[in-house]
Amino acid sequence: MNALYRILKYAAILLWSAFVIAPFLWALTTSFKTANGITGGPTYIPWLQYRPSLQGWRDLFHSGGGGIQIAGPYLSSLIVTISASLVSLVLGTLAAYGLSRFTYRAGFVRNADITFFFISQRIMPPVVLAIPFFLMLQFLHLLDTKIGLIIVYIALLMPIAVWVMVDFFNTVPRELDQSAMLDGCSPFETFWRVVLPNSKPGLVVAGLFCLIFGWNDFFFAFTLTFTQTQLLPVAIVSLNSSVTPWWSLSAAALVSVAPLIAVAFVLERYLSRGSLAGTIK
Amino acid sequence: MARIDLDHLAHAYGAPSASPTYALHPFSHTWEDGETYALLGPSGCGKTTLLNIMSGIVRPSEGRVRFDGRDVTDLPTAQRNIAQVFQFPVIYRTMSVFENLAFPLRCRHMPEREIRERVGEVAELLNLSRYLGRAALRLSADAKQLISLGRGLVRNDVAAILFDEPLTVIDPQLKFELRRKLKEVNRRYRLTLIYVTHDQTEAMTLANKIVVMNHGRAVQIGTPQELFERPEDAFVGYFIGSPAMNMLDCRLAEGGVEIGSLHIAFPGADRVVTKAGVRLALGVRPEFVEITDASASEAIPARLIDVKSIGAFRVAVLEVAGQRIRSKVPVGMPIPYGDTFVRFAHGRRLLFADDRLVASA
Amino acid sequence: MSLIVTELSRRVDGVAHLDGVSCVLERGRFYVVAGQTLSGKTSLLHALAGLETPDAGKISLDGKDLAEMPVWARSVSLVYQQFINYPHLTVYENIAFPLRRRHLVATEVERMVHEIAATVGLTPLLLRMPGTLSGGQQQRVALARSLVKGSDLLLLDEPLVNLDYKLREQLREEFLNIFAKQSHSILVYATTDPLEALLFDADVLVMHEGRLLQVGAAQHVYAHPATTTVARIFSDPPMNLLSGHLDATGLRLADDVRLPRSGHLGDLPPGPYIFGFRPGDVGLASPGISSEVELAEISGSETFLHLRHETMRFVAHLSGVRTHAPGENVEAFLDGAKLFAFTPDGKLAAAPSRV
Repeated sequence: MNALYRILKYAAILLWSAFVIAPFLWALTTSFKTANGITGGPTYIPWLQYRPSLQGWRDLFHSGGGGIQIAGPYLSSLIVTISASLVSLVLGTLAAYGLSRFTYRAGFVRNADITFFFISQRIMPPVVLAIPFFLMLQFLHLLDTKIGLIIVYIALLMPIAVWVMVDFFNTVPRELDQSAMLDGCSPFETFWRVVLPNSKPGLVVAGLFCLIFGWNDFFFAFTLTFTQTQLLPVAIVSLNSSVTPWWSLSAAALVSVAPLIAVAFVLERYLSRGSLAGTIK
Repeated sequence: MARIDLDHLAHAYGAPSASPTYALHPFSHTWEDGETYALLGPSGCGKTTLLNIMSGIVRPSEGRVRFDGRDVTDLPTAQRNIAQVFQFPVIYRTMSVFENLAFPLRCRHMPEREIRERVGEVAELLNLSRYLGRAALRLSADAKQLISLGRGLVRNDVAAILFDEPLTVIDPQLKFELRRKLKEVNRRYRLTLIYVTHDQTEAMTLANKIVVMNHGRAVQIGTPQELFERPEDAFVGYFIGSPAMNMLDCRLAEGGVEIGSLHIAFPGADRVVTKAGVRLALGVRPEFVEITDASASEAIPARLIDVKSIGAFRVAVLEVAGQRIRSKVPVGMPIPYGDTFVRFAHGRRLLFADDRLVASA
Repeated sequence: MSLIVTELSRRVDGVAHLDGVSCVLERGRFYVVAGQTLSGKTSLLHALAGLETPDAGKISLDGKDLAEMPVWARSVSLVYQQFINYPHLTVYENIAFPLRRRHLVATEVERMVHEIAATVGLTPLLLRMPGTLSGGQQQRVALARSLVKGSDLLLLDEPLVNLDYKLREQLREEFLNIFAKQSHSILVYATTDPLEALLFDADVLVMHEGRLLQVGAAQHVYAHPATTTVARIFSDPPMNLLSGHLDATGLRLADDVRLPRSGHLGDLPPGPYIFGFRPGDVGLASPGISSEVELAEISGSETFLHLRHETMRFVAHLSGVRTHAPGENVEAFLDGAKLFAFTPDGKLAAAPSRV
């Protein structure tokens, strides 16, 4: 009875893993194909079923003849995403600390209302914000610039940081803050020396979310940039022509996913909540 | 009602190996039907693990658990007819007290009239009758614990009620009341009650039999009186009784033992201790250390160091041959200052060799 | 140097956590705040520390009103019930934390940390992380951190309640030794257990529902509870309280129990009273009150007998193991000289003299 259960368990896991990894494998094999290779039925194993070619990859590094220069957009994406995420994280964490520890009151508005106000920004469909942001950046002469995009991204990513960090700070016992203050820390010192060092898992999660949402954004990059600033998602789209270049698209997809996977691997070990478990017995 | 048998029960963490690290060492015991037991020991001694194995929350790595002969080791908690009361009251926050108590019966589709009868009976026993209509959330901690207890009592198919340190959140004055109610419950329903605690007063007043545990082992099982009068291990002497048993390092001597230069009569001591290099200690409970004067028989010189008054009685700290002992003195008896004499009551002196009881006199 | 608390009040959601609390605390003395849960002990301690602002009232230390001082500028330490230590710092750094905030020299910090660690028994654990320590050890770290500051006010909020019974006994003794050496601080210790107050032999502040009911030496409050509430709270096991009547010939308990009028009740005017007696003052002897045993709780060397005579229910605390079955009839002897008398509204009218 138990053996059957175990077999079923592992079968289910294998099945699901296959389902998740398959797209990546497919993209990998496709990126090494050529136009001919795509048209004749599906093939999977290079050298055995089709002849691998580096054309897809080469198309990423020179413009003209259906290719693009990916290095530029790649760098722009990196700069915009990382800057916006960093600023969002800093501002969001500070706001979250305030919302978690202090009581605000303006008329009938309380802490919970303010927190919801932040989070509600993400409920809106991006289309609603497209025109207002466009007009704002135009007014500031920041259309088609990295700075403009960074500002917009901060507005979009900070709610995520606030959302994650408020929740996290609420799990840090208030007595820890009180102890720090009794030991002579001002409120900021309390935040900096005591609460923040114990919030690493929360910061990692918030940071990861910011990076992911920022890096993958297509809509605002598309609406607010044209020629001078090009972000990766937009650049990849421009690979398209009358014949869909699956090979270079696959290569581009892999290239754009790579940094996120790398970051996730590196930061994964900070995600264990166990580090805070010892505070309260 | 059920007899619970534990058959070579043990629990170890980690992968099975030749020498596992036991959280609970192999142990067999039968819990008789209708008795009240206490599992007593310090934090980490394995008492909660043992309780959770019996209730089904934890599956033991070795051994079997049987209820009235039926093997329940593989059965989940819901099928074992066990009620468990935890350290923190567990109540259904959105319901009234009545609804809370009625919940287990509703789940079993009992007719409404019977539910009201049963809930009324249990509420009356626990003095909750006037709270039946109120929201459970608003009650005090001890009332909430009574609701948790009540939920276990309304079911008439409950084999045993297991308690995991349920009085921890309760104030000392209310503990007294709750202990009394638990005893009445035991008397009225004749249920097997198994009670985990680190408070020896609770264990002693509530249970018929106490299992004293330490480091995953059952050190001694006995009635409160047995554990008090004949602790088989120095740990039991320390853990039971407040203040703890006095342990005085001593040596064998003619007709008894010697503490420093003082001789204490202990007939038969030399017959029992055979090995050399064994660590000997004379154990005597503070209740049996009498402060007396030079004329009393077997009086030993002692020096009074301190007296603490704790309401109903006093604790005197004395020094005998360089070692400190305590004596429990009833209020009203005069305690002389400075140099005085003590004697150890007859039949209350215990000899421990390497922390195991070997003789008494 | 003294801490003067005047009419401290604080209401939360309509419930009074503090209700007009006033007291004077002297330097170098040990105070125990005794009361049940939710009696206002924690609120009082937090108000003294400055962590909660009272709605009304004043706290002044040496004449200086503390209301203007922010928490981090005060000289206060607080040890919590829940073993609060900085989880990201070693034991050494935990203890050194307040000293570093004062920008002391490294050598000075080291000296002070080692000194306190030795006093509290933490020397071998200095490089461990608090999360790896047992409950008792974590609480010692918290205590060390509060002692190292040498603050004017040292507050402890039921610090032993989360520890095992035996560990509690042990730490209580150690606390006594440590506290005896703190001659310049005001020590305030909150607990629900009256026996702790008696063991520490401190000055007691009995609190109930936010109000301060009585202040005095522990032994005195025990022997002379000002009200029936204090008698109930500050007594373990709880005092037996029964209503009765006093007249010229003697006193009557419940309906038909008559006792001669004892000396210490001599000056009281006749009328209804609430009489109190401790379980330890009841013995089994004739002639006595014929009572039925409801329950016998045996604990090692003593027995609690729950007795009932008609409508009168009370508890007797007897030494030795007495096996009486429920339903058995015994004679309970009550010594009139040990009776407490309270007026019907709960105030102490007469207390027995103590030996």
